[in-house]
Amino acid sequence: MNLEKASKPTRRGYSDRMLEYGSIDKDFTVFDADIGYSTYACLFGEAFPERYFNMGIAEMNMVSAAAGMANSGRTVVVSSYGVFLTMRAVEPVRSFICYPNLNVKLLSSHGGLTAAIDGVTHQATEDIAIMTTFPNMKVLCPSDPKAAEKLFDVSMQTPGPFFTRLMRDPLFDVYGDDEEFVLGGSKTLRKGSDITIAAYGDIVFQALEAAESLAAQGIDAEVLDLYSLKPYDKEAVLASVKKTGAMLVAENHQAKNGMGYEIAHLLLKHCPVPFDNAGLEDTFAESGDYPSIIHKYGLSAEKLAGRAAAVVQMKKEN
Amino acid sequence: MEQQRTIQKRVRYLEEKAKEVRVEIVKMIHEAQSGHPGGSLSAADIMTALYFDILRIDPNKPEWPDRDRFVLSKGHACPVWYACLALKGFFPIETLKTLRKFESKLQGHPIAGKAEGIDASVGSLGIGFSQAVGMAIEAKMTRSKYMVYTVLGDGETNEGIVWEAAASAHKYHLDNLVAVLDRNNLQNDGIAEQIMPMEPLDEKFKAFNWHVIQINGHNMADVVDALMKARDYSGKPVIIIANTVKGKGVSYMENVRGWHGKPPNDEQLAIALEDLKGSLK
Ligand SMILES: Cc1ncc(C[n+]2csc(CCOP(=O)(O)OP(=O)(O)O)c2C)c(N)n1
Ligand SMILES: [Mg+2]
Repeated sequence: MNLEKASKPTRRGYSDRMLEYGSIDKDFTVFDADIGYSTYACLFGEAFPERYFNMGIAEMNMVSAAAGMANSGRTVVVSSYGVFLTMRAVEPVRSFICYPNLNVKLLSSHGGLTAAIDGVTHQATEDIAIMTTFPNMKVLCPSDPKAAEKLFDVSMQTPGPFFTRLMRDPLFDVYGDDEEFVLGGSKTLRKGSDITIAAYGDIVFQALEAAESLAAQGIDAEVLDLYSLKPYDKEAVLASVKKTGAMLVAENHQAKNGMGYEIAHLLLKHCPVPFDNAGLEDTFAESGDYPSIIHKYGLSAEKLAGRAAAVVQMKKEN
Repeated sequence: MEQQRTIQKRVRYLEEKAKEVRVEIVKMIHEAQSGHPGGSLSAADIMTALYFDILRIDPNKPEWPDRDRFVLSKGHACPVWYACLALKGFFPIETLKTLRKFESKLQGHPIAGKAEGIDASVGSLGIGFSQAVGMAIEAKMTRSKYMVYTVLGDGETNEGIVWEAAASAHKYHLDNLVAVLDRNNLQNDGIAEQIMPMEPLDEKFKAFNWHVIQINGHNMADVVDALMKARDYSGKPVIIIANTVKGKGVSYMENVRGWHGKPPNDEQLAIALEDLKGSLK
């Protein structure tokens, strides 16, 4: 699979679409916490100043105020970095947005180790665990800017709270203009018969590269892009695993309580197969360039290929 | 007269040091091609006065239990912290070249224990201030003599936790705590007073029972004088509101929002170094 270098990061894709959408839906508002130039929510703010509220560096107040406004039925997009949205403001997200099932859409930038260079305080590596745990919350993670645009629409057109994990830096373009994305959907980016590799966001590209090197070793890997994390595409996961008989879940997140745990649970109930999941192994990462960091913490294509080959070996020994 | 002269000498020494600090800031952010120059440069005079005049610290004994504690609550401005620590001798100047790089002790936002002289992890705004409060309570509880100093950003005061910390510092009579507010009137998205009007900041802190001193944060004599007065003040925590210019010392960065978190390219680095050299008398 030949991938084009992306012209922009997913945070920009999401915010570009939010700007366009401002003319389509004239009712929704956007809240920011002095990070609009970084999430690009500022683009909406410049075009629609009367619908843009920069609450300063005060995430808990911003999220709670957004809940207050959404109480009227209005849809509110809230923009910040993942670490601050999911931890600084976690209580209002849970009790006062998710519980009352309000139309608050969280634009969450700097997901996982894509904020590699900024260091641990800026790396949201527990966000998926936290957000997928809250009842009513729906969680998305686009892997390219086109998916980010389309998934913005999905979040706006589906009632209730959404959390969309976005990336700091541009990676690759995978999807064309006519690609469809639905809540609870997934994409099979590579067909294979020996093992399923399920990934989301930036790690999709590492998985695709891993699949290429596995092919050279005679292992035929299927690669799924789980762009919808909650709900996620159980049918596609089960169908793929029934065919391949082995599974590796790879995610830019703590290995614990992420999609790996979620899918292990599903497989244990319905289709137990040799399984492994790659993510941060109960550790914090550190700052550095993105390729070195994801390699050190087990998420590079090379490391994933090794993990996948070991799972295939397990299958043979079974 | 005699005392006057020694103060003048100290101030001149510190002014020269501050220039070295600024040079290291722009060089390291250029090398990393990532980092926050604006808020590092605005705090350079304050930080130089702290590290080269006020703090009781020993670079050979970074863990010395009686050392004064320092917390850069506006942790994104750590290039100024790293520059001071290196020039003071906590680690080699060479280390500054590794800022934000893989396996460097100089993390993108400082982590305690990674680099010598970093007493607290910072990077999430507001939380450093509360950690400084806890350090000052610890000093009181153990009847230790060390002081706790912290530097805050003005945008940072938007965070509610800053005011929670201020209230608790009053409750525990933390006159061993000195905060400096780097009032450069810019934050990430624009002019601080427009993003979130916080004035009157002096009256706010006074209402929280703090002693407030206001200075020009680039007049070294005033900076040193205020820090000495704050250290010696008893009965209340002290905050120095230092009026500063974001990007101070680099012509094209001064007062420009865009230089909050962006590295200079090669050409811009050359201009910056020229600007800083020009400021050397
Ligand atoms: C809790 C938190 N929210 C947001 C950020 C992102 N951020 C980093 S610096 C900054 C602006 C800081 O402005 P100010 O405190 O005035 O600092 P200075 O102007 O001195 O750089 C923001 C919003 C952060 N580091 N922590
Ligand atoms: Mg400021």
